[in-house]
Amino acid sequence: MSATLTHDGVAAVEVHGGDHHNDHGHGKPGIMHYLWNTDHKMIALQFLWSATFFLLFGGAMALAMRWQLAFPGHPIPVIGHLLPHGVVNDEGAIIPSGYNVLVTMHGTILVFFVAMPLLIGVFGNFLIPLKIGAGDMAFPALNELSYWLFALSGVIMLSSFWVPGGAPGTGWTAYAPLSSVAAYNQTPMGQTLWCAALFVNGLSSITGAVNYITTVITMRAPGMTMFRLPLPVWAIFLTAILLILAIPVLSAAAALIIFDLNFGTTFYRPSGYGQPLLWQHLFWFFGHPEVYILILPAMGLTSEILAVFSRKPVFGYKAMVWAMIAIGFLGFVVWGHHMYVSGMNLTLSAAFSVSTMVIAVPSAIKTFNWMGTIWRGSIHYTVPMAFSVAFVSMFVIGGLSGIFMASTPVDLFVHHTYFIVAHFHYVLFGGSMFAIFAAIYFWFPKMSGRMFNNTLGWIHFWMTFVFFNLTFFPMHNLGLGGMMRRIADPTVYDCLKQLQPLNVVCTIGAMGLGLATLPFVWNIVWSMRNGPKAPANPWNSTTLEWTVSHPIPHGNFAVTPTVYHGPYEYSVPGLVKDYLPQNEKAPAHITLEAH
Amino acid sequence: MIMTFLRAILNKRIPSRLLTGLIFLSSLLIAGGSFAEERNGNVYGLPPCVTTTGMQIDAVIKIIFWLTLVVFILTQGTYIYYLIAYRRRPGVPAHYSHGNNTLEIIWTTAPTLVFLALAIYGDRLWEDIHRPAPESALTIDVSSYQFGWQFRYPGISGQLAPMDVRKINPQNPFGTDPSNPKTAQDVITTDLVIPVGRPVHVLLHARDVIHSFYVPEFRLYQDCVPGRTIGWVWFQATQTGDFQLACNQLCGTGHYNMKAPIKIVSEGEFQKWLTTRQQKNAGTLSAPTSAPSPAKAATLTAPTPGNTL
Repeated sequence: MSATLTHDGVAAVEVHGGDHHNDHGHGKPGIMHYLWNTDHKMIALQFLWSATFFLLFGGAMALAMRWQLAFPGHPIPVIGHLLPHGVVNDEGAIIPSGYNVLVTMHGTILVFFVAMPLLIGVFGNFLIPLKIGAGDMAFPALNELSYWLFALSGVIMLSSFWVPGGAPGTGWTAYAPLSSVAAYNQTPMGQTLWCAALFVNGLSSITGAVNYITTVITMRAPGMTMFRLPLPVWAIFLTAILLILAIPVLSAAAALIIFDLNFGTTFYRPSGYGQPLLWQHLFWFFGHPEVYILILPAMGLTSEILAVFSRKPVFGYKAMVWAMIAIGFLGFVVWGHHMYVSGMNLTLSAAFSVSTMVIAVPSAIKTFNWMGTIWRGSIHYTVPMAFSVAFVSMFVIGGLSGIFMASTPVDLFVHHTYFIVAHFHYVLFGGSMFAIFAAIYFWFPKMSGRMFNNTLGWIHFWMTFVFFNLTFFPMHNLGLGGMMRRIADPTVYDCLKQLQPLNVVCTIGAMGLGLATLPFVWNIVWSMRNGPKAPANPWNSTTLEWTVSHPIPHGNFAVTPTVYHGPYEYSVPGLVKDYLPQNEKAPAHITLEAH
Repeated sequence: MIMTFLRAILNKRIPSRLLTGLIFLSSLLIAGGSFAEERNGNVYGLPPCVTTTGMQIDAVIKIIFWLTLVVFILTQGTYIYYLIAYRRRPGVPAHYSHGNNTLEIIWTTAPTLVFLALAIYGDRLWEDIHRPAPESALTIDVSSYQFGWQFRYPGISGQLAPMDVRKINPQNPFGTDPSNPKTAQDVITTDLVIPVGRPVHVLLHARDVIHSFYVPEFRLYQDCVPGRTIGWVWFQATQTGDFQLACNQLCGTGHYNMKAPIKIVSEGEFQKWLTTRQQKNAGTLSAPTSAPSPAKAATLTAPTPGNTL
């Protein structure tokens, strides 16, 4: 840890203690203000803009793939010629190796450069200090370092497109020995950069996670007990713990691929007494907690938004917290369900099937509690609420399709088909991305001090909801029809030719989904500067971030707030207003129900 | 529930915007559905199932399908009902409640029991599917490489030449022992020909990277791992026909087209085919073993580097 870091850490604690004369980041914003700024709110915006760029980039790759699957070998209209030659041929049609590159980079970018930074980088940074009543993160400089490590990893990842051999085409799972032997993948440099990017990205996640955990444990405002924490904070706190335990495993495994590719080691190569399955065990030991890293924060954000717009306390707050803790624990003992048919010991597959079925229980508990939250509520339909409502519905579909694959014999049939593609897009897009959209709209007034455009928001919601289902629901049928994932041209198989109309339907949906993103991006970019000024608490919310008005000063709270009760006291009988902020004491005649 | 919904529509309690959205959505689904239906026989169902284990797997799929369908309708139905019934109405405040512990216990216990039952039910079939192949099974060595398949059948002696995965290399793609007389007898093909009604035991090998043995009509997926023999896969076809073996594990540029024809034929036809091939091999045996026939040499040479475009 550098001296600056210690200094900043101490400075932040001083701010928390009531000293607000720390002025770094103030004054006329120069270019350095945007490049190196230790304010958690600014870092959240840095993550937001970077991830939005990657969202458009990774999304465009998905559209190119969908075009190829619907119309194999046909040149991509208009933009086909603009794509790099590793991806398309002279006519502008996608070549199979290029398709593999798209598959790989779409997955990698959406997981590591869109979903993680949006959920953890944006909302972890923005919400944790504001919601727990702290001035900033425990280590503000480390926080900014986390962003720049993330940015660096993005640059390394994208640079793989321009090295000899091009970007890797081994899938985001990069199974060895395809990924670890140059003669097999033909892209040793691209694959090395891919591994290096994930290594640096991992450092970013770990530095971020250390910060979040320290901040939540040590910097909560007086009265903010752990069981008074808003659920997004709980979710991101638990996610940070998962990150610290899971990410180093991926980093180590990726380093071994770099050694295998460049320095002649044979960790994953059987001819040198290595083990191909070692990579899968290491990757999925990271990869399964990663799935929950991507959904836990989304669950936390959704829980809060549902409560706010139902004007009701979260149903079963403690059950929600314990369910998330259970998911965190169980998340580390289910990785083998990605490997039922990998050549792993068969009894081990059976055991992983049991743990996998069990991990569905906490998710079911959460679903029932979400339904309990809206039950007898007074639901106010806004854009963030619409996305949160849709999140629950889509998450249920993703959860139910997961049961098929959790069953070992069924996995013999549906493994690596479009059924799994449908499943994880329902969880990661219908789940995580819907929650991200909801959260961006919900906290936009606090982030920017302005309101977003409601009409554009509704257009975005309905287009996303309709086209999302049009894109991904038919994929269940494609998968049960036997269509393999990651094949550049399904029509080479006789049994898949009849499914081609469904592929066209999916592609039409995907194009609509791509268009749906435009009003969203335009909305946040335009409204950030030009939207109508937002009141301090536009949604009549109870949590602490809504008690500060825009522009939120460096150090956040003029006076450190004191917390008197749990986070979601809505519609308390006997009160004039239908919400009781966490820093307001309930009048003496009112008894709050224990939660 | 439907009645409540209809009444809600009649009383105009449902915002017309929501209603329009629902109608639009359902008409889109119906239109999409009929569009696909009119051109295809089997877009909605599973592909035909032609193995005994496949039928057992289909039975599990059906059980999970009906179970999840019921849960889907109950949860989504209740959810949509709540969303409509509890929308904001003037003068109707939200109910103040932090939850209910009895409910929490019920909806923790019930899914746990259902999920554990499903896991046990599935795992029992999993164990059954993977019981050792019967003695009567026909053993075929399946060898996968970037980007194709080769199959090795027993020669005239009725037994496969022994192999060792550590000996697999471009010169010796099956890892067999050239000094063993059975090696030259082995029948090597690029089609997977199997008899109907008889257990077939496949020994799965990969020469370079991980491939997978995937046949949707068999309801069968298994990775082929380099450096190992996967010896637990066997199946029994229930009908004759032509199918395709697919690699379903991303294995490089030509992955998408790494397929092989599967011919399921009658026992008689199979015997005729195999005997012809065996005798052809035995015929070449009379020639000096140091110079195998050109045809034989061709099948044994290292695979060409894959299907380019």
